Amino acid sequence: MRRLLVVLSLVLATLLLAAYPDKPITFIIQAAPGGASDMVSRTITAIAQEILKVPINCTNITGAAGAIAMKRLQTSKPDGYTMGYVPVELSMVKALGYADFGPEDFDLLMRIMVIPAALTVRADSPWKTAQQFIEYVKTRPGTVTVGNSGPGSIWHIAALSLEKAAGIKLVHVPFDGAAPAVAALLGGHITAVTVSPTEVKAGVESGQLRILAVMSDERTPLFPDVPTMKELGYDVSIAAWGGLALPKGVDPEVYKTLADAFKKAYDSETFQKFLLDRGMTPAYLDGQKFKEFAIAQYNMFMEFIPKALGK
Amino acid sequence: MQQFMQGFLQAIDPRAILYLLVGTFSGLIIGTLPGLTATMAVAILTPLTFWLSPNEGLAMLIGVWNSAIFSGGISAILINTPGTPASIASTFDGFALTKKGMAGLALGINVVFSFIGGILGVVALILVGFPLARFALSFGPAEYFTLAIFGLSTMVAVSGKSILKGMISGFIGFSIALVGLDPIFGSERFTFGRMELLSGISFVPVMIGLFGIGEVLSQIFTKSRTTSADAQTVTQIKRVIPTFKEVKDLTPVALLSSLIGVVIGVIPGAGADIAGLVAWDQSRRIAKRPEEYGKGSLEGLAASTTANNACLGGALTTMMALGLPGDAVTAILIGAFIIYGVQPGPIMFRDHASFVYMVITLMMLANVAFLAVGFFFSKVLTKFLSLPQSFIWSTIIILSLVGSYAINNSAFDLMIVFLSGVLGFIFRLLDVPLGPIVLALILGPMAEANMRRALILSGGSFTTFFTRPISLILLILSAASLLTSVIRKRKS
Repeated sequence: MRRLLVVLSLVLATLLLAAYPDKPITFIIQAAPGGASDMVSRTITAIAQEILKVPINCTNITGAAGAIAMKRLQTSKPDGYTMGYVPVELSMVKALGYADFGPEDFDLLMRIMVIPAALTVRADSPWKTAQQFIEYVKTRPGTVTVGNSGPGSIWHIAALSLEKAAGIKLVHVPFDGAAPAVAALLGGHITAVTVSPTEVKAGVESGQLRILAVMSDERTPLFPDVPTMKELGYDVSIAAWGGLALPKGVDPEVYKTLADAFKKAYDSETFQKFLLDRGMTPAYLDGQKFKEFAIAQYNMFMEFIPKALGK
Repeated sequence: MQQFMQGFLQAIDPRAILYLLVGTFSGLIIGTLPGLTATMAVAILTPLTFWLSPNEGLAMLIGVWNSAIFSGGISAILINTPGTPASIASTFDGFALTKKGMAGLALGINVVFSFIGGILGVVALILVGFPLARFALSFGPAEYFTLAIFGLSTMVAVSGKSILKGMISGFIGFSIALVGLDPIFGSERFTFGRMELLSGISFVPVMIGLFGIGEVLSQIFTKSRTTSADAQTVTQIKRVIPTFKEVKDLTPVALLSSLIGVVIGVIPGAGADIAGLVAWDQSRRIAKRPEEYGKGSLEGLAASTTANNACLGGALTTMMALGLPGDAVTAILIGAFIIYGVQPGPIMFRDHASFVYMVITLMMLANVAFLAVGFFFSKVLTKFLSLPQSFIWSTIIILSLVGSYAINNSAFDLMIVFLSGVLGFIFRLLDVPLGPIVLALILGPMAEANMRRALILSGGSFTTFFTRPISLILLILSAASLLTSVIRKRKS
């Protein structure tokens, strides 16, 4: 009798697992509708739900640099029916003092993309290269104004890292998002910005702005002629990135089903075209490698942010 | 010319028109429901447009956007709750007209003048798009600060009878706006260790609480104390379509309001909510009967409804001419344009001229679309007012709660709605005006962050506000506006 029960429960368990997914999946987006995180999430889930044959419902939960949404994800049931988007802030929020979790508190599924920081000035400014700009700042420490997308944002960290690597002193001007910072640069109210190449693309193409360097390890496909800071001899590597995550403790079978489905969605022509159109560098990493990457970033931010921001 | 024809033909393609109408109807419903904003509607529909061709997808998005801003005025007029933040100023005179039994005419004014404002906004984009966009760039932190001050100078005018009560209302607004991360240092202010408060208290739940829940609570309270059925007058609708003479009389106010709407729309970061409020106050200077403002003035209602729709053409100008978002909706539209392979910005006019003409034609058509169905839709909705009051109250409460929850899927926001509802009720009980608190909530953060940014840029010197020409002009205008409002208050 006991044997029968064991067998029955095993069969039942297998059936249940084989049946995954048999109901809609909730997908938590940590940012407002319309932004980069939201568009990536909605596009990849729209493709993945065709593969998984169940609807994936996107929910936007904003606030505290995404910490509220990620906290919700972290404390959800790890049954494979709740997943979410995690941006670079996953590795930053603890260092910023907004939350008490890091990448190790999640089952990371995959990294999707990176967007590097870029040093951009006005096209009518005298600097043609990043070195010229840095040399100029050295002669006038604490007078050159650089806009970013908000205090403690990844683009603010980018400017702070550049300061440290080049041994210069800038005046940081935080704006409410990257677009207002770019507007201030176009209007000549500030001298430079350290936001993503996507944000300055319109200004660069119309000949009003000039990108001096990107801060990633490799050049961005959006502007292949622009050198990286590393090529120029400055050890700065700051990029925003995004990936997918599950609450910790998801069954390996369920994890594999999701990983396979989302990898297929990632590889689809529609999604690849979408990433390139939006100026994001496709940068797939599987769950394990993504975890190592996110933890390395986490350690870097935990070391850098408290010092740089005095937190 | 060939480019124009190509764009024009794409816009009037029957399938595009069909999607435009789908967008217009969705916008009417979303805009009318308190809490569901135009931004949210456009954002949620944008991914669907991947599967549509550019003219169909954009027709749908532009249709939603224009009609949601228009129809937000309907709930402002009928139930004193702005359907979207753009219609806050429409509650001042719109609901007063409803209480006078002129809900029908108020709704008609909303349709006609939203249309006039919308069309004039697009005309401005066509005629002076590039100079306007360049003007927008001359706004640095100092100018944003003085613009916010100019907007705040309206506070006396929206204070109702007592300036003191107005100031108390404004002070509470500024205090609420202080909560959250400091805009420059990123340090926490009044968050009490709660993660939900890090980004501050969301504006829309506060607005819905103050207006929607607050209004219902106060009506229940008044009704339980008085037996006279003075609320009966509300159910009168009368005619909806305004006469030609009425429209003609309101035209000067509408023209000034369109201008204000377009200019504020062009400036990135200042949107239709601010445009409506500023136009409502400034148009009073040329109004035939300025003393009626706030007590059911057709001119006041025409001003706010014109300005918020005129704002859209301005925001689109900045987006297309500079590639920068003029407001929250255009930020999302930039994404949609890029998906269709068009990078908004100056080169778009050279490389994708037919696309530009298509967008402009769709904007015009979207205004015609809501003009065509707006009268009928408004008239149907007025039937709502003839329902039993208990039914109206519970509907408003349910819509307010659902709408506020939907913004961020946050139970915390429900608490905010409820608390602001109680605050709105106390305000009505003590006759404290709602205008100042709303102004402070919208403009307080803009003033604070930009003053501090301007001071970073000037190295801490306050002279920057007086030496920059636009900033100085705005300060002088603010002083004049404040002074005339105070003098007017003294007289009455």
